Amino acid sequence: MKGKLFRFTAGTRIFHWIHAVCFILLGLTGAALVYSWLQPIANIFGGIQISRDIHRWAAAIFTISIFVFFLLGASGRELRSWAKSSFKFTKDDFAHAKNFPIEFFGGHKPFPPQGKFNGGEKLNSMLMITGLLCIAISGYIMWFASSMPQWLVQWAYVAHSGFALLIMAVFLAHFYLGVLHPDSNQALGGMFNGYVPEKFAYEHYEKWYNQVKVENKNT
Amino acid sequence: MTEKMVFVDTSLCTGCRACSVACKAWNDLEAEKTQLITSYQSQAATTPHTWTYISMHEKYENGKMQWLMFKHQCYHCADAACMKACPSKAIYKTESGYTLIDHDKCIGCGYCTANCPWSVPKVDETVNKSFKCTGCIDRIENGLKPACVSTCQPGALHFGDRDEMEQLAQNRLYEVKKEYPKAQLYGDAIMGGTTYLYLLLDRPEIYGVPSNASIPLSLTLWKDLVHPLGGIAIGGAAIAVVGGVFANFALGNYRNRGKEVAESQDKKGGQ
Ligand code: HEM
Ligand code: SF4
Ligand code: SF4
Repeated sequence: MKGKLFRFTAGTRIFHWIHAVCFILLGLTGAALVYSWLQPIANIFGGIQISRDIHRWAAAIFTISIFVFFLLGASGRELRSWAKSSFKFTKDDFAHAKNFPIEFFGGHKPFPPQGKFNGGEKLNSMLMITGLLCIAISGYIMWFASSMPQWLVQWAYVAHSGFALLIMAVFLAHFYLGVLHPDSNQALGGMFNGYVPEKFAYEHYEKWYNQVKVENKNT
Repeated sequence: MTEKMVFVDTSLCTGCRACSVACKAWNDLEAEKTQLITSYQSQAATTPHTWTYISMHEKYENGKMQWLMFKHQCYHCADAACMKACPSKAIYKTESGYTLIDHDKCIGCGYCTANCPWSVPKVDETVNKSFKCTGCIDRIENGLKPACVSTCQPGALHFGDRDEMEQLAQNRLYEVKKEYPKAQLYGDAIMGGTTYLYLLLDRPEIYGVPSNASIPLSLTLWKDLVHPLGGIAIGGAAIAVVGGVFANFALGNYRNRGKEVAESQDKKGGQ
């Protein structure tokens, strides 16, 4: 594609959207259980019992898809290296992330060249990966509460609820930057057809841009 | 109605389980297949259809065996952990001191089971509703004694006004202590004071119940800290997103999109 750089394989993109749909379903059906006045949310799905069932079905699909896509060939490699690199937070990442509030509200400040994922994205990924792991583990403890020690179930509620609410807040910011933010939403194409504008890549991920250019020349 | 109380005098309980049967009869609870748990004990825990049962504990001292009996059911705590845990506001307290479940509101999540120190309420998975002892609220509001109390032959169960029962318990404790120095009351010092008050012949642990039952710390953190903080985090993020859209709009970043994005931003950036 002219003027575009390939960023994400089909597997990664499918995985992303499976997770997005499951996450929104899990968030809404979960929120219906936080306060009694939020319970009417469940009416979107046809009642609280259906809503509770959806929470379990979405959770199962959510979990299975992690195993499937992280093991799958090309997208598996891509996802594994994404997860790994997210936890390698360097000085350059920090330099990018500290300007995050300025970028968020539409300003701009120069930052050192970034790799495939910039500091802000790494923060989002770290929070998402850690949070979702804790949510999934505590969620299964709550699901199978009757065969778990009581103290474990009691603390699972705290963890599940806490991380779920935190990650929902992170999700709002992620949605804003990916869809609503006039500059960073240029990345959205990467999650649909896999390509992002070359110019955008150069401005946001200079190190990655140079790397891809070299690789493309060699092939 | 004034505050009521059931006094369970375990020193007089013979373990006949008539209370269990009377409870089933009055509340129309179906029979369940039982099995021996220890010696004569036939029930290990409450179930959606068994709201009260007797646990039997054998204590050996100086080569003599002694039966210790314990009647289990909802304690109808003043500080009811189940009520705090319920996400559906299905559990409420009556003036008379009882903890009741409104089955129209109950969604069967089992949060009450996990947070009650004795795991008293149990969810019937076929109807997704939680069940437990009602204290026979329908009887006592009509001037009758609870079914278990009215059936108890040896006089181990007493029902009446709270202060009356507390007085009776103190008197019995004084009597029983002469023969059983470890005798003590159970219920007055836990969960803000329970509606079922016990006279035990030994420490609660010997009967398999916790002496320091309280609202779980995790429950307080969950409901009083995590929920409000989570709400603030989500609310804060939502406000930031709306603010971000407005800021970008005001800075002209939407209008200039597609044109020289980088340039227009460099001009404005970071001031
Ligand atoms: C593997 C993933 C997950 C599993 C196995 C799981 C399981 C559960 C279970 C069993 C419950 C109890 C609800 C009931 O009995 O009806 C629950 C509640 C809840 N879940 Fe999940 N869940 C998962 C993922 C998520 C995610 C990703 C979110 C948020 C985006 C979420 C948000 C919630 C919330 C907010 C509650 C209510 C907690 C409260 O009352 O404070 N869950 N979950
Ligand atoms: S004994 Fe358990 S179910 Fe009964 S009122 Fe106390 S906390 Fe609730
Ligand atoms: S099972 Fe019913 S009574 Fe128990 S916490 Fe859930 S909604 Fe409340």
